[in-house]
Amino acid sequence: MKLRDVLRSALGNLTRHLARTALTTVGVIVGILTIVTMVSLGIGVQREMMDAFDSVGLETVRLYPTTEEVGAYDLFGKPPRTALLTPDLVRDLQARDDVIEIIPFLNLPRSMQMTLRLDGQEILADPRVARPAAVPEPFETPPETLAGVEEPSEEGGSVVVSDEVLEQLAGAGSDLSEFLGREIEVVLYAPRGESQTYRFQIAGITSGMYGNLTLSTADRLAMLEWWYNDPEYLARQGYDEVLVRAKSLNDAAQIVDWLSNHGYEVQSLKMMLDMANRGMIILQTMLGSVGGLALLVASIGIANTMIMAVYERTKEIGILKAVGAAPGQIRGLFVVEASLIGLLGGIIGTILGWLLGKLLNWLILEILHWQEVPVQGTFFVVSWWLVLAALAFATLVGLLAGLYPAARAARLAPLEALRYE
Amino acid sequence: MTEPTALAVRTVGLTRTFEVGETTVEALRGIDLKIEKGEFVALVGPSGSGKSTFLNLVGGLDRPTAGELWVDGMELGASKEKALTEHRRRRVGFVFQSFNLLPRLTALENVALPLMFVGIPERERTDRARDLLVRVGLEERLEHRPTQLSGGEQQRVAIARALVGGPAIILADEPTGNIDTATGSEIMALLRHLNRDGGVTLLLVTHDPDAAAFADRVIQLRDGQIVPSREGEPEGSETAAAAAGTSQPPPMGMEDRP
Repeated sequence: MKLRDVLRSALGNLTRHLARTALTTVGVIVGILTIVTMVSLGIGVQREMMDAFDSVGLETVRLYPTTEEVGAYDLFGKPPRTALLTPDLVRDLQARDDVIEIIPFLNLPRSMQMTLRLDGQEILADPRVARPAAVPEPFETPPETLAGVEEPSEEGGSVVVSDEVLEQLAGAGSDLSEFLGREIEVVLYAPRGESQTYRFQIAGITSGMYGNLTLSTADRLAMLEWWYNDPEYLARQGYDEVLVRAKSLNDAAQIVDWLSNHGYEVQSLKMMLDMANRGMIILQTMLGSVGGLALLVASIGIANTMIMAVYERTKEIGILKAVGAAPGQIRGLFVVEASLIGLLGGIIGTILGWLLGKLLNWLILEILHWQEVPVQGTFFVVSWWLVLAALAFATLVGLLAGLYPAARAARLAPLEALRYE
Repeated sequence: MTEPTALAVRTVGLTRTFEVGETTVEALRGIDLKIEKGEFVALVGPSGSGKSTFLNLVGGLDRPTAGELWVDGMELGASKEKALTEHRRRRVGFVFQSFNLLPRLTALENVALPLMFVGIPERERTDRARDLLVRVGLEERLEHRPTQLSGGEQQRVAIARALVGGPAIILADEPTGNIDTATGSEIMALLRHLNRDGGVTLLLVTHDPDAAAFADRVIQLRDGQIVPSREGEPEGSETAAAAAGTSQPPPMGMEDRP
């Protein structure tokens, strides 16, 4: 018996009872729809995450000073550091040949009051947490460079400010490039009533995002020394964070080991990615099992429909056997019919799942934009292997559900089947 | 098991019993019978005499309880399911009282259906089915569905379907039972024509004396046994007319109809 004949016969039988076929298919549609949506969310988010992490580089290791446990009574004090990120450590790391680049960071305390002054005008400064280009954050767009350089030089003496700063200090409509090389003052106000003025050259202008002022590490240190009134600040406190770029993922892992053994708190992007992936897998498993449950119910529906079909067609089965159909051929007809129900549900479910993903993606971005979160991306990705897997799985569900009814049909004694009315 | 033979059917002590609840019904009790190739044999007898049971055994739709059953040189009693399927495909063709056509298929598709299971390509199937439908006089009805055909036409389709696999034996179970007398005679004439000109062995089960009158030989069954018709001739070999209880000769002019 040719496959074409089997398919034609099965399709003929399915289209004869359109309403029944449609209703039986609904279960498969719901199951596949759920699974496709969930898995496409998984693929999409993972891809977005990978892209984001890739731009940062997975070979990056983040190193933090170890701090003592913070007790309930000194929650607001700065916890004492036990393993410092000293300039010596930075030199040691720099000496390693598996390290490409090493970037130390100093954070300015949030409580530090700081202003920007130009031509006698003064506004509040909002220093960026770190040099943005050095540490691109996943899912965050770095500020755009509008004129000059992206970051101030490490030796100090220059700053990068946002265009908003210049607008506020010099008025709208001014030509940005005119400000390059001009002097701008940063004034620190200490709670003890003193103030300190630093003079910088404007080296670059960026769009305003995550702050309006970028300072070099050297200048940050100078400000911290004045703020805490401690010329030995770096020796006593160390850096707040050190970013190590290793040559490869392997090297990164070795550096992580070496640093952990020396008592430092290490976080590599790889570790973060692994953690995020684990979270995604748990989420996907949970949501996937919802789809799985729907498919289980769907398979019972298919089995039920097929058992009814066997009853209805008992006489026909008898005739087919009398004219030479083998039990295996009868079984094949019913199994293919059940598989086609699965496949049909799979096709519709996949299409609906893809559309639902598109809808949800649009909805999520709309909500995020409405809340002014600057995120772009495709979080639902239906890849070709997902389509194939969904169709194969749906067909398999139908096939498995059809096995028992088909076996019953194949087993029917021809004589009794012929007499059945 | 196979044997070289000129016999279409040979049975030795063929027995078939059915378990119906607690009781055992003996449908056939030791039938010894030989049917020559090309013979036209009518099995007659009252209801429950076992004639249909015999036909179903020969057709491979059922299995004997005991005894030997050789059809076209093959022993069926001990055959596996696969061999029985093969037997139904190639050696026998069924004609039923209620036609048993598939209602959603056309006449052409119904006739071609058995060839689908042997994997013959569609074009060839259709060609062979069309030839046979022309042979049984239905060239005008190829695309009609069973419900659009008269009883006689449906039975002709069924006969064409029985012939399509090129069987050695046609097994007809009350083929005239559901059609009027005149059409019944036409059907019988067609069957005899296929037997005489086509050389196919014909085993007919009927309790219609008119139908039995077309046969070369009439075998009478009663209570699962062959009724000895004459002294010294235990195996039914009487003439058709005598056994069927009718003195009418076969209607003239019918046997040559296509």
